[in-house]
Amino acid sequence: MLFVAEINLAQLIDKYFNFKLALEFLPHLLSAARWAIIYTLVGESIGIIIGLVIALARISSFKLLSYPASIYVNLFRGTPLLVQLMFIYYALPYVGINLPPYLAGIIGLSLNSGAYVAEIFRAGILSIPKGQMEAARSLGMSYGQAMFYVIIPQAVRVVIPPLTNEFVALLKDSSLLYVIQVPEIAYRMRSLASASFNATSYTLAALIYLSLTIPLTYFASYMEKRLSRYKSHA
Amino acid sequence: MLKDMQFIIEIEDLRKRFGDNEVLKGVNLKVKPSEVVCIIGPSGSGKSTLLRCVNLLEKPSSGKIILEGIDLTQPGVDINKVRQKVGIVFQSYNLFPHLTVEQNLLLAPMRVQKRSREECLEKAEKLLRRMGLIEKMRAYPDQLSGGQQQRVAIARALMMDPDVMLFDEVTSALDPELVKEVLDAMKELAAGGMTMLVVTHEMGFAREVSDRVVFMDHGVIVEEGKPEEIFTAPKNRRTKEFLSRVLTA
Repeated sequence: MLFVAEINLAQLIDKYFNFKLALEFLPHLLSAARWAIIYTLVGESIGIIIGLVIALARISSFKLLSYPASIYVNLFRGTPLLVQLMFIYYALPYVGINLPPYLAGIIGLSLNSGAYVAEIFRAGILSIPKGQMEAARSLGMSYGQAMFYVIIPQAVRVVIPPLTNEFVALLKDSSLLYVIQVPEIAYRMRSLASASFNATSYTLAALIYLSLTIPLTYFASYMEKRLSRYKSHA
Repeated sequence: MLKDMQFIIEIEDLRKRFGDNEVLKGVNLKVKPSEVVCIIGPSGSGKSTLLRCVNLLEKPSSGKIILEGIDLTQPGVDINKVRQKVGIVFQSYNLFPHLTVEQNLLLAPMRVQKRSREECLEKAEKLLRRMGLIEKMRAYPDQLSGGQQQRVAIARALMMDPDVMLFDEVTSALDPELVKEVLDAMKELAAGGMTMLVVTHEMGFAREVSDRVVFMDHGVIVEEGKPEEIFTAPKNRRTKEFLSRVLTA
C-alpha cells in the first residue's frame, strides 16, 4: 500500500514512456510493423480469394459444395487463431510437415481470414435484391455470368466497409504470430521489454497499432456512409 | 416462319404450387404470333406466376408450356436459350445499377449471344432513339426517372431480339404522370407486331391495345375474349364484380 503511494508521476513516465528508450525502440518496432502489415496484406489477399470461393460454394444449391464450405467456415471461426497457428507450426511436424515460421504464419492468417471474408461476401451477395439475378437470368445469362457480371460487382461495393474492418481485426490478430517466432510487432515488443527491464516498448507497440487501426476504422465508416447513398432499387 | 405457326405459345393444364399453396390450378392459354394478350384479375390470382412460368423464372409443378413448338417443361431444354426468345419487363425495372444505360443494354447480347460491340451499339442507339432516351446513354439508372428506367428496361429486353415480350405490372410502381410514356412505348411495340403477354391493372391500355383480354381469379382463367366483349358484356359473375370494382375506383 505504501509502496504504491511512493510511485510518482515522473517514475510512471520513466517506466511506461521513457522518451530516450522510445526513440531507440521506434525503428525496431516500425520495421516490425512493416512486417505485420505485409503479413496482414498477404493474408487478407489470399483470404479474399478463399473467401469468394467459399462464399459462392456456401450459397450454392449443391450440397456437395455448400456443406464442405460451411464446415470450413465453422471450423476456422469456431477455433482461436492462436490454436490454428500453433496447429500449423507445432502439430503438423508430427506428420512430417515442417513449415518455416513465415509460411506457417501466412497460411494461418489466410485460412482464418478466408473464413471471415466468406461470411462477409455471402452477406454481401445475399443483400443484392432478388430482382437483379432474375433480370440477368431472364436475359439468357447463365448463373455464373449473372454472378460475375451483375451480382458480384454490386456486392463488392457493399463489402468494402466490413472487409476493411476485417483487415483491422486481422492486423491486430497478426500479433499472435509471435507464438510461432514471426518477428512482428508483439514479438519485438516482448524482446525489447525483457532486454530493457522497462515497459516503454509495450506502450509504443500499442500506439503503433492504434496509429494503423484508427485511420482504417474511420475509412470503413466513411465508405459505409458514402456507399449507403447508392442503394440499388429493389 | 413464325408467322406460319398457328400458336407461338401453348399453355396446357399448367399448375404451380408453392408448398401447400396452389397458385395456378390448371391454366390453358394459346397465343398467336403478333397477338397482344392482356391478363387482368385481382392480386393473388396467379397472373404474375403464370407470366413468370413462361420464361421459367418459376418452375411449373405440372402441365405443359410449348414455345414455338418446344415443350419447355421437358428435361434437357436449354433454359438460357429459351429466355433469349422471351423478354420480360418487371414491375421494379431491375436495371443493373452499377452499369450505365448503354452497358445495361449491351451486357447480355455481347456476353450471351456473342454479338459484336458495333452491332449491339447500333441496335442500342436505334432502340433508345425510338424511346426518346438517346441522350441518357451514359447515365446510370439512379439518374433516371422511374418512367425512363422502365423504358430502358424494355429496350434492354428488346436487345435480345425476343419473339415474345412479357410485361409484369410494369407501370404499377410508377408515379401516375410517368405511366403514359411507358404505355406509349408498349403500344408502339404492339403496333410493330410483337407478341405480347401483359399483366396489367391499366384497364384503358387493356381495352385499347389488346387483341384479347384474359380474366384470372384464384389460379384459373375465368373468362377470356375480345376487349370489347370483356369490358362491355362480361359473362361471368366474378369478371363483372372485378370490373365494376376497378372501373369505378
